[in-house]
Amino acid sequence: MTSAVSVRGLWKRFGQQVAVAGIDLELPAGKFIGLVGPNGAGKTTTLSMVTGLLRPDQGSVQVVGHDVWRDPVEVKARIGVLPEGLRLFERLSGRELLAYSGRLRGLPGAEVDKRAGQLLDVLDLAGAQHKLVVDYSTGMRKKIGLAAALLHNPEVLFLDEPFEGVDPVSAQIIRGVLERYTASGATVVFSSHVMELVESLCDWVAVMAAGRIRAHGTLDEVRGSAPSLQQAFLELVGAHGRDTGSDLDWLGGKR
Amino acid sequence: MTGGAVAGDITPVVVRLKLSLLRNGLRQSGGRRAAYIASAVGVLLFSVLQMLGFVALRGNEHAASVVVPLIAVLAVGWAVMPLFFAGGDETLDPTRLVMLPLRPRPLVRALLVSSLIGIGPVFTLCMLVGSVISVAHGGAAYVVAVVGVALALLVCVALARTVAVANLRLLTSRKGRDLAVLSGLVIAIGAQVVNFGAQRLGSGGLGQLDGAAGVLAWVPPASALGAVDSASEGSYGVAVAQLALSALALAGLLALWSRHLTRLMTSPDGSTLPSAEGAAREQSSTGLARLLPAGRTGTVMERSLRYVWRDPKTKAAWVTSLAIGLIVPVFNALQGTGVIYFACFAAGMLGVQMYNQFGQDTSAFWMVAMTISSTRDAYVELRARALALLLITLPYATLVTVLTTALIGDWPKLPEVLGMSFALLGAMLATGAWTSARFPYSIPQEGYKNVAPGQSGLALAAVVGGMVSAALLCAPVIALTIWANVSADGDEWSWLLLPLGAVYGTAITLAGLRLAAPRTARQLPEILLAVSKG
Repeated sequence: MTSAVSVRGLWKRFGQQVAVAGIDLELPAGKFIGLVGPNGAGKTTTLSMVTGLLRPDQGSVQVVGHDVWRDPVEVKARIGVLPEGLRLFERLSGRELLAYSGRLRGLPGAEVDKRAGQLLDVLDLAGAQHKLVVDYSTGMRKKIGLAAALLHNPEVLFLDEPFEGVDPVSAQIIRGVLERYTASGATVVFSSHVMELVESLCDWVAVMAAGRIRAHGTLDEVRGSAPSLQQAFLELVGAHGRDTGSDLDWLGGKR
Repeated sequence: MTGGAVAGDITPVVVRLKLSLLRNGLRQSGGRRAAYIASAVGVLLFSVLQMLGFVALRGNEHAASVVVPLIAVLAVGWAVMPLFFAGGDETLDPTRLVMLPLRPRPLVRALLVSSLIGIGPVFTLCMLVGSVISVAHGGAAYVVAVVGVALALLVCVALARTVAVANLRLLTSRKGRDLAVLSGLVIAIGAQVVNFGAQRLGSGGLGQLDGAAGVLAWVPPASALGAVDSASEGSYGVAVAQLALSALALAGLLALWSRHLTRLMTSPDGSTLPSAEGAAREQSSTGLARLLPAGRTGTVMERSLRYVWRDPKTKAAWVTSLAIGLIVPVFNALQGTGVIYFACFAAGMLGVQMYNQFGQDTSAFWMVAMTISSTRDAYVELRARALALLLITLPYATLVTVLTTALIGDWPKLPEVLGMSFALLGAMLATGAWTSARFPYSIPQEGYKNVAPGQSGLALAAVVGGMVSAALLCAPVIALTIWANVSADGDEWSWLLLPLGAVYGTAITLAGLRLAAPRTARQLPEILLAVSKG
């Protein structure tokens, strides 16, 4: 099995706080990969380091066989990124943002405009293409960000919480586009804390908690004997069976 | 109450609401209370001073010529204020009362009375009282004065309210918040113009105002003051006409206000309506794009230029630079105190825009970082940003220099001043590019701050250090200019300083970009981290 992403001994500290505590991971190519974990597990930090947006304290990252830090020319052309918590150039319209992003990546102008038009249509943004991104809703922002990440037809796509705050209709559209994209042999790596979503979308999962990888493998391997990924996840991160009953015994009792 | 409108007068209720809001606003924080008390004391002191000024003006033959335009300016202030400080007064937003069964007429009355409470109206009242003291002579004039002051005050307040209500949809939208960022700027530039006007008056005498005052005496609410002056001179008919004009204006404003209120309170809130309108207006692809070079250079230039117009923070910074770059040399030249070398101010002020290029991107810089994979990419990116800047700066600096030279009338000096401008511009671009890569910092997108907390030292070091370095970099050109002025045959070759300055400026710009590029390419994650704090 060839690796789309290969991570070795990745560390990141912010002051006293260890955000990522030595990760080793091989993500298989051509799969829909879910990186799951509770808030603060280090998912965003990991994805930022993997995509070259954050410098790790230690460790190495290879994407499709090229080192992210030593060979950025090869890597940056092959990946698409949708980060979480970072802005877009919001004073551009949706169409202008795509035109800008595609041309910066060195694609010919006519090709950029053609692809942008198709992406805007498929993502149901055509009606809002001349509106400034600053006036977009959360779902529209995620969709235009996804379009910008897909524009140069990357081999590996990294999406940080692509469904966070997105309405069901937009979520379904994003899902459809991603499924079509992986069917062509490309790799999608996305982070989420919604287990049902990961379970229904992914064929390969890595579970993260407190800066470490707790489990990884195909969905069946990670799920093991547990009835659902949710159950398996709660056991893995040690939150299973945490009893909230006894302290609040008055709640719902005699009034 | 039987499901109809609220019985009785709601005015006392709304007045109490206003008082409570004021009091609660002060209770929120010590800093806010201190600021409010300080501004109240400041306004009070200013009121007393201007009142004394008006009393001193009494008897001066030009008293009315000062008072009438002053009140007109005050009214303009009232009209403009709600556009910039919409958030300041919650009772300004009638949509908060939309759930209450209120009829427009009592509501307008109640809101009008409640808006007479506050520092602004007190200040205006002091100003109006001072004004009538300086122009009213005789019993009839005193009677007209009492009516005139009340009318003028009400017109001012009603004007502010009408403007606020008419633009409420704009003010509560994103565009309104964008507008607020520009407010400080309007005040700063306004102050410059007023300052200049005052200096002109100081040298030219108050008589210059007579013409303007003659016209303004017929424009409400200044016409209410014009009426007092007319009554003092015995032209009672004119006085009544001027008073009537103000009263008519008040009635008109109240009717307009009431109509807008009714419409606002019976139609959906702006925030719940999708802002589909205006979408088509912001069509992409201006003709400009086709003139720019292809590839990264043109793409980056287009984006930079769009941001100058569309991003409120960038726009405010640019307008400040453009205004100060023009005002300092030209106004000084107009006053006859100007030195021709002040023209370089334009180049210097506009060059500042090259500083903290990546901070201007905010955390959206990641989109740039993802596409920079070599020193060459970084170089082209920085060069494109410098070119976008030059597209505006070069013609503007040239224009300001020519204008200043024309006003001073020292044409032989034009080449050397232009040369010096170009050299300075080059030095600013070079140091700006380098500090952008070396000392990036965040520009918060909300509020008036231009530096994120904890980074002000960094920002100060970058800008001051950069400007000092830029001055030092210009030293050769400055030295040559001095030599041209002191040496006996300097006038014969001083024109050479124009091409020399231009070449020198270009050379150091390119050198600065070359120095900044490798660092930018190497430090992309660190730059992103530094500019993402806003």
